[in-house]
Amino acid sequence: MFGALFAPVPPPDGALLDFAREFTPRVQSLGPAEALLDLHGLGRVWPTPQDLAGALLAAAHGRGWRDLHVALAWTRVAALVAARGRDGLTVVPPGQEAATLAPLPLDLLDLDDERRELFRRWGLGTLGDLGALPARGLAERLGVEGPRLRRLARGEDEAPLVPTRAPETFESTLELEWPIDGLEPLSFLLARVLEPLCAHLKDRGRRAAGMELDLGLVDGRRHRRPLRPAAPSAEARTWRTLMLLDLESHPPPEAIQAFTIRAQPTPARTVQFSLLDPAQPSPERLAETMARLHEWTAAGRAGAPALVDTHRPGAFVMETFAPGPVGAAAGGAAVTGPPGPRLALRAFRPPRPAQVALHAGAPAFLSAGSVRGAVIDRAGPWRASGDWWDVAWSREEWDVALAAGGLYRIFRDRLRDEWFVEGELD
Amino acid sequence: MASALKNALEDLLRSRRLQADEPLLRGEDPRGRALSTGIAGLDELLLGGFPRGQISEVHGACSSGRTALVFALVARLTRAGSLVAWVDPGDRLDPASAAHAGVHLPRMLWLRGERRGRDTGALLPAVSAVGTLLGSGLFEAVVFDLAGIAAAARQRLPGTTWIRLQRLLEDQPSALVLIADGHVSHGPAGAALAMKAAVPRWSGTAPARLLRGVGAEVREARRGLRGATVELQACS
Repeated sequence: MFGALFAPVPPPDGALLDFAREFTPRVQSLGPAEALLDLHGLGRVWPTPQDLAGALLAAAHGRGWRDLHVALAWTRVAALVAARGRDGLTVVPPGQEAATLAPLPLDLLDLDDERRELFRRWGLGTLGDLGALPARGLAERLGVEGPRLRRLARGEDEAPLVPTRAPETFESTLELEWPIDGLEPLSFLLARVLEPLCAHLKDRGRRAAGMELDLGLVDGRRHRRPLRPAAPSAEARTWRTLMLLDLESHPPPEAIQAFTIRAQPTPARTVQFSLLDPAQPSPERLAETMARLHEWTAAGRAGAPALVDTHRPGAFVMETFAPGPVGAAAGGAAVTGPPGPRLALRAFRPPRPAQVALHAGAPAFLSAGSVRGAVIDRAGPWRASGDWWDVAWSREEWDVALAAGGLYRIFRDRLRDEWFVEGELD
Repeated sequence: MASALKNALEDLLRSRRLQADEPLLRGEDPRGRALSTGIAGLDELLLGGFPRGQISEVHGACSSGRTALVFALVARLTRAGSLVAWVDPGDRLDPASAAHAGVHLPRMLWLRGERRGRDTGALLPAVSAVGTLLGSGLFEAVVFDLAGIAAAARQRLPGTTWIRLQRLLEDQPSALVLIADGHVSHGPAGAALAMKAAVPRWSGTAPARLLRGVGAEVREARRGLRGATVELQACS
């Protein structure tokens, strides 16, 4: 059995569909004022069509929709046309579709202006008039459209109901009987909510690009923690770990009475692995590891260093550690191979202030805390300056070897006329 | 049929050595293959490279080339597409030097300590981070830079620190490499390289004098008998 709802005054967008979904999940939306319902299999709840129709009408009245047209029939066309044409409740008995629709006007069919004018000239005013015409004669005059319109006028279906898919939300809430205080009991509850939520995401071929943990506290406040890892994931274990690690660093101020988890779905990513490159880390494990290093990442002390396009010595920035695909990122570096081993600078941050004794304009003795001794050899000075338009710098750089051992890079700040040890060459 | 084809292809890859560090093949034990530094004399000394699943150490005095040698390892690994973590409680790493040495910086996770990183209190989070990194199994090598950290601060770490890290590492395909001023610890099958700075090489006369490099003497401290000299070029 099918049902049709027609609202002469269209309710707010989606309200009619939501109303229909209270009775059946198989609902087809035909605009803001019309909806078709597949009511098959509801006989155990409402034994007769009249009971079902009464329930529909009562629910509509409960919402204040007193002028809603409700029609039940064994074909969807009959239900729809009856709902459009008759006020209140109409139940079309099986086999009586054509007879029930016969007195209704032809305008209830979705006819274009040309057809409507043609039928008017033929003297047709009701669905019964059109339904009584011979199908063969209509086919000869109107082609395939003729018999189709005749079937519609007689309430005969020509296409199945196509349910309108409900918008999917990936959200889950758990109300607790007793408030919980502490992460350990929360860990079990998170797993209970996350596992079905992640399974739902996977079923739909989705991943969560981010999740929000919304904790309802006993004092009525909300404690919201958004999480957005570097890569989308639908692994419940990973999300639970990320949430717990986040809550460890941002604990709720009160005990938890309820919580909601909202996922931001994104299409699942398909990765083509390479046979020749080393196995790449799973984004989930990488996100989990970075979350475990929260103490370092939050302070901006963990990441991938990146050089800055400047001549200023020691300039670099810390970027998020998100290694990309091997081939693209290495840019052919793997092909050329690394250069031979090179002396590296072990920097002092900030550069260590030094006292330098000069002999013939070159450093002869260096003293900077534990770095102290006579200079036995040196290379320099190498002068450099820059950023005069911003925070200017100008320096005179030397590489020096101390009698006590050790190679150091020192420099004189020419703007302040002060010496510093930049680092040890190792 | 597909299996036979795959086996044939893997054999071909193995025989042709299509990559310097080819990916692990099916059924291959990741701990079996050492991490080569790409420096012939040094790899020979290490019997192939730094062993996985073991703590190894590179120690020596100031300017003995410890950092340069580990950079060579990191450069080789990152260029082959592997990930490396550098835990640096003293905040001494210079990214420009790393890039000059050939390190592919986007594939190196750098954990920088604060200035107070030279006392024991600050070493503990660094040790904990090393444990996290090793436990993740994501990194081919984890470098723990303890050079410049006072021996007293290091010795105040819990006595089980290195045993615990070694146990954590045993089942992992990673290697933990310590850089230090003196002997700290190494695993039962780990490498221990003792570095000694040779006289630096200079060229030219002032004011056009240049630091050319250093010939670092490396000795395998555990076996004690063998040694090698590694030429380190100056970046300038």
